[in-house]
Amino acid sequence: MELARRVGGVIDHMHADAALRDLDLMRRAGWVVTTPAQARARADVLLLAGPGLDAAWPRLWDELQLDRAPSVFPETARRVVRLCVGRVAASSADAGASVLTIGEDAAELQPALGVLRALVAGRPVRSDAALLQPLRECASLLSSARFGVIVWSAEWLDALSIEMLCGLIDDLNAKTRFAGLPVAPGGNAMGVAQVGGWMTGFPLRIGFARNRPEHDPWRFDAARMIDSGEADLAVWISAFAPQTPPWRRAVPTVALVASGTKFRSPPEVEIGVGRPGVDHASVTFDFALGALVCKQVTTEQSPASRSVAEILHRIGGALHDVPPRPC
Amino acid sequence: MLTRLTGGRVVDPANDRDGPGDVWFEDGVVIAPPQPDRQPDVAYDVTGAIVLAGGIDIHSHIAGTNVNTARLLLPELRSDPDATAVPASAEIGRLYIQMGFTTVVEPAISPHVAVQAHLELASIPFIDTAILTVLGNEDYLLELLRGGESKTAIADYAGRMLVGSHGLGVKAINPGGAAAFKENVRTFGLDDVVPRYGLSSRAIMRALQQAVIALGVPHPLHIHCNNLGVPGNVETALATIDALGDLPVHLAHLQFYGYGKDGPLGFSSAAPLLAEAVKAHRQVTVDIGQVMFGQTVTISSDVLRQFNARGQAHPRKSVIMDGDGNGGGIVPYRYRRTNFFNAVQWAAGLELFLLIDDPWRVFFTTDHPNGAPFTTYPDLLALLLSRDLRAQWIGTVPAEAMTVTTLPSIAREYSWPEIAIMTRAAPAQLLGLADRGHLGPGARADIAVYRPGADLAAMFRHAVLVFKDGRLAVRDGAPVETLFGRTLSVRPGFDAAIDARLSGWHERVFGTSAGVFDVVPEVLGAAGRFETVPCRQ
Repeated sequence: MELARRVGGVIDHMHADAALRDLDLMRRAGWVVTTPAQARARADVLLLAGPGLDAAWPRLWDELQLDRAPSVFPETARRVVRLCVGRVAASSADAGASVLTIGEDAAELQPALGVLRALVAGRPVRSDAALLQPLRECASLLSSARFGVIVWSAEWLDALSIEMLCGLIDDLNAKTRFAGLPVAPGGNAMGVAQVGGWMTGFPLRIGFARNRPEHDPWRFDAARMIDSGEADLAVWISAFAPQTPPWRRAVPTVALVASGTKFRSPPEVEIGVGRPGVDHASVTFDFALGALVCKQVTTEQSPASRSVAEILHRIGGALHDVPPRPC
Repeated sequence: MLTRLTGGRVVDPANDRDGPGDVWFEDGVVIAPPQPDRQPDVAYDVTGAIVLAGGIDIHSHIAGTNVNTARLLLPELRSDPDATAVPASAEIGRLYIQMGFTTVVEPAISPHVAVQAHLELASIPFIDTAILTVLGNEDYLLELLRGGESKTAIADYAGRMLVGSHGLGVKAINPGGAAAFKENVRTFGLDDVVPRYGLSSRAIMRALQQAVIALGVPHPLHIHCNNLGVPGNVETALATIDALGDLPVHLAHLQFYGYGKDGPLGFSSAAPLLAEAVKAHRQVTVDIGQVMFGQTVTISSDVLRQFNARGQAHPRKSVIMDGDGNGGGIVPYRYRRTNFFNAVQWAAGLELFLLIDDPWRVFFTTDHPNGAPFTTYPDLLALLLSRDLRAQWIGTVPAEAMTVTTLPSIAREYSWPEIAIMTRAAPAQLLGLADRGHLGPGARADIAVYRPGADLAAMFRHAVLVFKDGRLAVRDGAPVETLFGRTLSVRPGFDAAIDARLSGWHERVFGTSAGVFDVVPEVLGAAGRFETVPCRQ
């Protein structure tokens, strides 16, 4: 962030699309949310909404202990409904969830959520009879919750579906307690968004070209800027996993990457970095804990385990020799 | 480097000093005037100016997940340079130091999210900072209390949480209220009971108050009472003072509890009643949480209250977080000068400032940004110093609102020594900071110099000189160079056996060890930043 500020650059994140889908909804309409720890500890009803949850959060079932009673109130029964489209992973059904299949296409989810919300609110609805009865049962279950939680992943849901879920949560809160649990995108995206918040007031996609931070999800989309030729240099950072940059156009690149990263065109400079919290100590957003946490390591530090922060600091130090850009 | 400030009016009530004189400091510390043969390396002629110790703000929401969520919720505030409800970290430091404030306490950080709070504090330049650790709604604590655990066990738990989160003190925010809200309770008073735990807020407060005393933490339990903002809630505050006032306790943002139900709209100031109760209980300290008019955002770990306030959001959006422990709520709000209720709130705060006549026990806050951004401090100080200015403001608010407050009848004006006590000497004493809040030998050379003029607010907004640890930070109201301060915390002793118990519980309930939330200064890259404030033996 500091380096981008100094050179008048732009900060983006490889998972910004998903992160901003959630954050955009939050800052347009607000929301009621909770943490994974609270969902595990006290949720008696959970609605796993939409496709892709297993991919976005592979350890969802284990970390929320969905096959067990709420951990802080073990005398309370827990009921889980999976609202899905298409085929369901067998493990979910086996673990005791009711499965409510909307159809084969993700586009069918949105109208079904509308029906569900109307049923919860007690409004008259018209819908496919085969779907109406299970949705009615689902609405009844949600309304009977003591502390319910709806889990979704913005990597797999469109903005309107997320808005519908948040509206549903609002409606449910009129009579009982409900909260959302948006699964954080990977690559520490929420950690980066938090840092952006306190350093600039904005989450991801921040530009510093005008000597003050600006935020524009379209303008500062790195892939768009590079593919359109607006950007003439990229610094690609991928420390958690060897991830290939998403743009197609060849652009001079400085890469700070985990070993094994493949590129469409080789970077001008490639520097190997360690994995945060594994090869070197770090502070990262741990979604399962719902917080930024310190991760210490006990292993010996090697050159390959250098942190991105250390490398960027050294690059920043060398920038003192760069003459100021012309106005 | 030896520095001398010469000719100013030195107002240093902790050392019974008020008059023209010099202040000497060297290597970041105030010293007695040296031998005549020593010449200063730098001398500043501040004749005609007022010289005070650096200001200390004991209650201002400047960091943490709730504050940062407010930033992300309200990007529109970024486009308005006058909207200072949730500035970025670097701006917070600049705005505070320009006003001569050098130490600021962020008063509401749950232990689970202390890492982020400390990262944010480390990004705030110029000022020293601290957090208060929020306890009172965690299931573990409630289980301990339900199980009838000893006072020692509660103190061990509070001590462990303070050390892990690097807190300076303990805050309890509507204790039990957040846990009850998760059980669909919508109002929660002092003697209401948390479902499934059978514990009243009164019992939780008392247990934490005693734990803080047992640990020897200098700052008494910092309480955010039940029923914030509700008409008639003065009864709650009076009952809380009765319940806890025999031992040291600090009641935060008292203005938000100073409401009766009288008057044409069933909403009135009950500040005089509250002021009398505070005056009668010598162990009670309070800060005000003054309301000033304008756009702001309310940021509170009183998630129940914030949920109930969602309908008043302006702009119309809010975030409610059912978090671990307290969680929090973010509700933007605009206090309007022409609004009856907002005018009564404004008046009630000033009444408390003016009717509680002991500046050692009343503290200067707007509960930033809940009553107003801290950038309104200069205007507020001016209102306390001048009854003429107050009269002008009273003329601009609804006349009907002034019928349910005694404010128009109050003539008191704060003196400079009283300002120095309230914003310097008393906060240092309340927080246990022996080297702050005064200008005697051995004090940290945090010094603010103001040039009095007709515009009192302008004087406070831009100090002519501010020194932080003896280094010149501000000249003529503008920062000179960017400095970074320290983070203050206490490290009370506790029986380490609590670690094993806590970890066992965390493994069972959350699937993780309790220590994962601990603040590790070395990992934050801030090992040298932390300074320990001693506990009482």
